Amino acid sequence: MAESEEEVDVLVQRVVKDITNAFKRNPNIDEIGVIPCPEARYNRSPIVLVENKLGVESWCVKFLLPYVHNKLLLYRQRKHWLEREALADITCTLLLLNPDFTTAWNVRKELLQCGVLNPEKDLYLGKLALTKFPKSPETWIHRRWVLQQILRQCSAVGWKHQRGEAEQADAERSQQLSDHLARTLHQEMKVCSDAACRYPSNYNAWSHRIWVLQHMAKGNVKVFHDELSSMRLWVSMHVSDHSGFHYRQFLLKELITELSQTPASTPPSSPQRRHSPVPDSTSPPPSQGPANGELSGAEAAAEEDRQLLQLFHQEVELCSDLIQSFPGHETLWSHRRHVFYLWHHWRREHHCSSNGGNTSVRLNNSDPTLAEVSAQSCASRGESVNGQGHASDAMEVDGASLPDPRDSKRLKRGVLLPGPPSLLPAPPTLLPAPPHPAL
Amino acid sequence: MGTQVKDVIIKPDAPSTLLLDKHADYIAAYGSKKDDYEYTLSEYLRMSGIYWGLTVMDLMGQLPRMNRQEIIDFIKACQHECGGISASIGHDPHLLYTLSAVQILCLYDSVDALDVDKVVEYIKGLQQEDGSFAGDKWGEQDLLRSVLSQETFGKMDTINVDKAVEFVLSCMNFDGGFGCRPGSESHAGQIYCCSGFLSLTGQLHQVNADLLGWWLCERQLPSGGLNGRPEKLPDVCYSWWVLASLKIIGRIHWIDKAKLRSFILACQDEETGGFADRPGDMVDPFHTLFGVAGLSLLGDEQIKPVNPVLCMPEDVLQRINLQPDLLS
Repeated sequence: MAESEEEVDVLVQRVVKDITNAFKRNPNIDEIGVIPCPEARYNRSPIVLVENKLGVESWCVKFLLPYVHNKLLLYRQRKHWLEREALADITCTLLLLNPDFTTAWNVRKELLQCGVLNPEKDLYLGKLALTKFPKSPETWIHRRWVLQQILRQCSAVGWKHQRGEAEQADAERSQQLSDHLARTLHQEMKVCSDAACRYPSNYNAWSHRIWVLQHMAKGNVKVFHDELSSMRLWVSMHVSDHSGFHYRQFLLKELITELSQTPASTPPSSPQRRHSPVPDSTSPPPSQGPANGELSGAEAAAEEDRQLLQLFHQEVELCSDLIQSFPGHETLWSHRRHVFYLWHHWRREHHCSSNGGNTSVRLNNSDPTLAEVSAQSCASRGESVNGQGHASDAMEVDGASLPDPRDSKRLKRGVLLPGPPSLLPAPPTLLPAPPHPAL
Repeated sequence: MGTQVKDVIIKPDAPSTLLLDKHADYIAAYGSKKDDYEYTLSEYLRMSGIYWGLTVMDLMGQLPRMNRQEIIDFIKACQHECGGISASIGHDPHLLYTLSAVQILCLYDSVDALDVDKVVEYIKGLQQEDGSFAGDKWGEQDLLRSVLSQETFGKMDTINVDKAVEFVLSCMNFDGGFGCRPGSESHAGQIYCCSGFLSLTGQLHQVNADLLGWWLCERQLPSGGLNGRPEKLPDVCYSWWVLASLKIIGRIHWIDKAKLRSFILACQDEETGGFADRPGDMVDPFHTLFGVAGLSLLGDEQIKPVNPVLCMPEDVLQRINLQPDLLS
């Protein structure tokens, strides 16, 4: 169907308007998509709104996209002026069709900076774009920029409050902002979750999720605990999702960092545990130290050890269950290796250096593998490994006489094991090496 | 009684010989219909697209078929006042496309077509306190950008290399790999960028080559193809990211070269030319470059030798006297 330039012009402007109006009519639109529809139906809008789903008929996309695309570029090159409203509408249409178009997101950043758009709008737009393009790198990147704007606004108020300059109205406002941040945090978790469901092992979604926790929940033990429990079922249903399991490794690592700080080295009120912008709304864990007068330093340390042991135990148990239920998943073995590494590293770092090798906490020995590793770990050299760490004393591959790994790998593929993995003899490394993951 | 490994099955009638002429025709004709809808969709990365196309043509000895002057003029039109270069005319400048532009001009031995000092200034201005680089003025930092910024040939002394190295190393994980930010999951693409970066800065000794090499060679699947992370499908672009990384750390012999070669060849499209991510899928210039570059690394003599660090023909790097370290 040939269209003249004017006809296309008129058509596209109507479509952009239809999209804008759809959002006005229904603020609860939660998904976008393209409807396979090769021909226009006479005089009917290609924009379809049904039960919170916004669809664009496919026939119009080839007119729509180039038109709004070129219009935006003309604006950017100062060859054509667009009013702010029009800019907002055009970029919205563009980004729903092509969310990796960085320049369009940048235009919206500028609109945000001068107050024409509010950050929530862009979080919403991004969320919609992700329903169709769950990996879109530029969408996640823009999202982080918007969240940083929100955090900056909130911390400006929060700082005033902490300095005691706040009056009653400000104190209320501050509380509102806290709640707002908590809601924002939970919304981000949901957006990440949805995107993770839409595309297997969605690296960008999970790495964004980690970023959010690093910036909005630093030191917030409750959030980490909640995330670990809420993700348990999810990973059990996505046993190939390497990113999902890596997320659990991240959570464990954060919890180790937080719970490993002994009261001796940390002031009782633990300010560094409290610098999360999102308030820790539950009562503090007993290990808060002498401030609440309940537990002594050593008892608090022991309590934290117990918590960590329980976390490790639960994680290893989860992993073992899944390996037995779903044999042969490389992801699960990789996760097992990582969890043991974290365990091994924690034992060496925390336990041996602080207690001079004395195991003051009795392990629940129901999991023999953990006990075996801890016995080895205290005997090893106590090198400190910073944060993420150099891999220098990481999962050591036996350095002595390294066989060409190609040989053993090629041979072992497809061969079945006679029994459960723990019966394999451990090679002379610090950690028991897993059998080949394909088995 | 295990689970089937996630992989593709190569059909017996899949291409098994290298169809270089077809690929050259494919690239030469790509984008000739400039008002194509698909072409508009990818305009946001056009500069990189041109770099992929030109590099693969040069590797195949077919660079003269491309329109040199048109491309140089295009690049000039994409340089902004701040010194940064955009993906296409009218788009915002960005580090990624600045580097693609510089690489293109190296292929054409015309780096002076740009205001080089301004480019260097732009890149220098993007370095953050922690050593990483932002992609543009809006500040998203990550590893890819830091790494690529090193490719301002011969101008490394204008940035804080030590800090950049520190940042890159902070992204190293305990499995020996690298993620996009500290704490992120190891990913073959990021690993490639980091190995390349550490090579360019003479810091390859910081890598645990055996450990990383193990992680990398585990990417090879029964079909012969390579994936980017555990339990992902093989993808021809990983036959570049993973293979080049292995080459840089001196462990390319840890994968089965013959099987990888047959996987890459199977990703060709005999009718249209070009390579797809895996056999049977749609082709594109991105996968075409990495398929051909992968074959070059594997030793195919019909293709020019490719430099594993910069993904450019070795003869181009020799011309500008740039020979990054490799481990043996």
